[in-house]
Amino acid sequence: MLKKIAFLLLLFLLISPLEGCWSRREINEIAIVLGTGVDWTAEGKLRLTVQIANPGAFVGEGGRGQEATNWVVSAESKTIEEAERVLAKMVPRDLHWDQSIILVLGEEMAKKGTNMVTDFFQRNIEPREIMWLMVAKGEAKNFLETYSELEKTSAQAAGFLTRMKTGYSVQLWEYAEMLASKGVQPVATRVEVKEVGVTPGLDLEKMTPIHKQVEISGVGVFKEDKLIGWLDEYETIGLLWLKNEFIKGVITIPSPSESNKEVSIKIRRGSTKIVPEFDGENLRFTIKVKVEGDMVEQQGREDLAKPDKIKALEKEMAEEIKRRAIVLLQKAQGEFGVDIFGFGDDFHRKYKKAWRELKDQWDVKFAEAEVNIEVEAYIREISLLGKRASSPEK
Amino acid sequence: MLEKGKISSIQAIMLMISMILPTAVLTVPAITVKSARQDAWFSIIIATMAGLLIAWMVVNLGLRFPEKTLFEYIEDILGKIPGKILGFLYIWWFLHMNALVIREYGVFLATAVMPDTPIIIFHIVVVAVAAYAVRNGLEVLSRANQLLIPTTVLLALVFILSIPNMKLSRVLPLFDAGLFPIVKGAVVPASWLGEIVTFAMIIPYLSKPKEAYRVAFLSILLVSFFLTTSILEALLIFGPNLTGSWIFPTFNAVRMISVGNSLGRLEIIIVLAWVLGGFFKIGVFYYAAVLGSAQWLKLKNYQPLVLPVGIILVALSILIHDGIVDLLDFLKRVWPPYALIVFEAGIPLVLLIIAVVGRKGGRKIA
Repeated sequence: MLKKIAFLLLLFLLISPLEGCWSRREINEIAIVLGTGVDWTAEGKLRLTVQIANPGAFVGEGGRGQEATNWVVSAESKTIEEAERVLAKMVPRDLHWDQSIILVLGEEMAKKGTNMVTDFFQRNIEPREIMWLMVAKGEAKNFLETYSELEKTSAQAAGFLTRMKTGYSVQLWEYAEMLASKGVQPVATRVEVKEVGVTPGLDLEKMTPIHKQVEISGVGVFKEDKLIGWLDEYETIGLLWLKNEFIKGVITIPSPSESNKEVSIKIRRGSTKIVPEFDGENLRFTIKVKVEGDMVEQQGREDLAKPDKIKALEKEMAEEIKRRAIVLLQKAQGEFGVDIFGFGDDFHRKYKKAWRELKDQWDVKFAEAEVNIEVEAYIREISLLGKRASSPEK
Repeated sequence: MLEKGKISSIQAIMLMISMILPTAVLTVPAITVKSARQDAWFSIIIATMAGLLIAWMVVNLGLRFPEKTLFEYIEDILGKIPGKILGFLYIWWFLHMNALVIREYGVFLATAVMPDTPIIIFHIVVVAVAAYAVRNGLEVLSRANQLLIPTTVLLALVFILSIPNMKLSRVLPLFDAGLFPIVKGAVVPASWLGEIVTFAMIIPYLSKPKEAYRVAFLSILLVSFFLTTSILEALLIFGPNLTGSWIFPTFNAVRMISVGNSLGRLEIIIVLAWVLGGFFKIGVFYYAAVLGSAQWLKLKNYQPLVLPVGIILVALSILIHDGIVDLLDFLKRVWPPYALIVFEAGIPLVLLIIAVVGRKGGRKIA
């Protein structure tokens, strides 16, 4: 009997580290952070802004319908942890970072250097390394304070927008990986608050004013951990291609024989291969892009369902991709002078000895490098219409 | 004999895996990757060679003195007084190593899972349970281990789930760091694999001692396989730069898993494997220290030593290091020469040479 009791007691002891009763936190004692923002204020302090969920408002129709879904609070201090302590005096519950979907850095913060911020979110166990990292045009605080239609909060809206892969998106750990490598300089999603759309009410007087909504608008370019410039959406698509990430994008090209009418090609899949060549002196990169797409829209009236027309479209498509890539490359090599594509990593993989000498001055070498682009483009499907089914041929 | 139980070869292999693997999976990847970068997996291959060599020495010695453990044949080989001195050193080493393991066990739980809990609670809990297992003897320890080691399979499943996060280009180019860093990176994993020396305490209790070679080699190979897998898991996800920055890269790698936006937060599985695996690791070294002390003191029964050794272990594990920085630094710089060169390779080699030259030991091995 005594043995049995002892055995049960020990069994209990063995499982006790697994359940964690010691530092347990019940759900009604925590404040769930949905989005985190960090700004650098004019007074030279860090400002931590957190968007805290109001769980009651998430319940839907059965719940307390009209309440605000979130609450945004900020605190200023020298470090993030200290700011969190200040917040702890205002927020009546324990801050819980586990669910934080996004980490938004204000423009000034990003210019000041992200290292001051990201360490906290990597070192601590609660914030997760799969948070989306974003740079706000303007202040992160404004961004988090924005209300979102459809989604409950602006943090969720931004999280869903990135997850849909409409633009370049980067998670905290990917950013850290880019930062740690000498062969690539980091980029992070740019977000903005824009006025978009209205919610029509039943009668016109009740129509709400113009909404402010969060929007993903390109990327911020970094040199080491400091923000040095932006790429717009158009350039971002090119960046994705060169980084071998193909998202559902659209290429618009003029119709082969009606140059004032456009044709839309939806990109289905693609791949990019970067071939570095180095003879000890000159550095050259050949970028081989292969893209497949479907024709989804035609403004003109010519019959494109013919092999030679498709060939012409494919050629035009390849040209367009090349143009975009060149514009972007010139910007990266000239204006920014940083390798945001990871050519350095490709170079490192091929010339590991030369890399040891070049890695410390890689951005200079990159800016001087000659780049050739070869594009192979294919149009595979033309959707449900063969030839345009409207006004008869003349 | 002090220990009346016998264990099968399968149980012995499982016990040896539990004895080496748990702490290796969490702490070794960062240390090795820091030195050998993306070629860390190659360091493990070198370490495996060392591990196999040590395993061969230990089994060779053990089979020369059937039914005797390290503490008994050390006196046969070296004579009474030097044998006693070396035996005492081995008792110290088992205690010291175990104190480190207990500390690692507590440190991981305290940093990664339950930051508010005082670390000594974890130490007391795990040592108390291990004491119960050790008191009941080798058979009980092995059978419990046999029952619970399949959690390692769970860990392998989790690794499979993280394949979408992996990119092969992160481990290229091969042999980038050069030979010296790769060898340097092999030292720490070799000192882990060298813990197979403890097998010398178990060989006499194998139901089929003839299979001792097979048991030792298979254990080393399986541990190396899992260790390589976990290093590659971290490397393929984070690349060499980031892997070297984390303290527990495998833990972070598992945290990243998110399948279909619904299946995520699987790190509790690595914690589960750690809590169970760590317990057996501590149990084996605890057993070795207790049995060794009893044989050293020529007691008829080792049970009375269980409690005092347990108390020493808890106290030592707290006193031994100030904090995690101190602990990791010790593991990286002091541990390899101290453990690998002296206790894992040096002394067994000397013993083997003296045994062969002096024609000591009952029978020659087939």
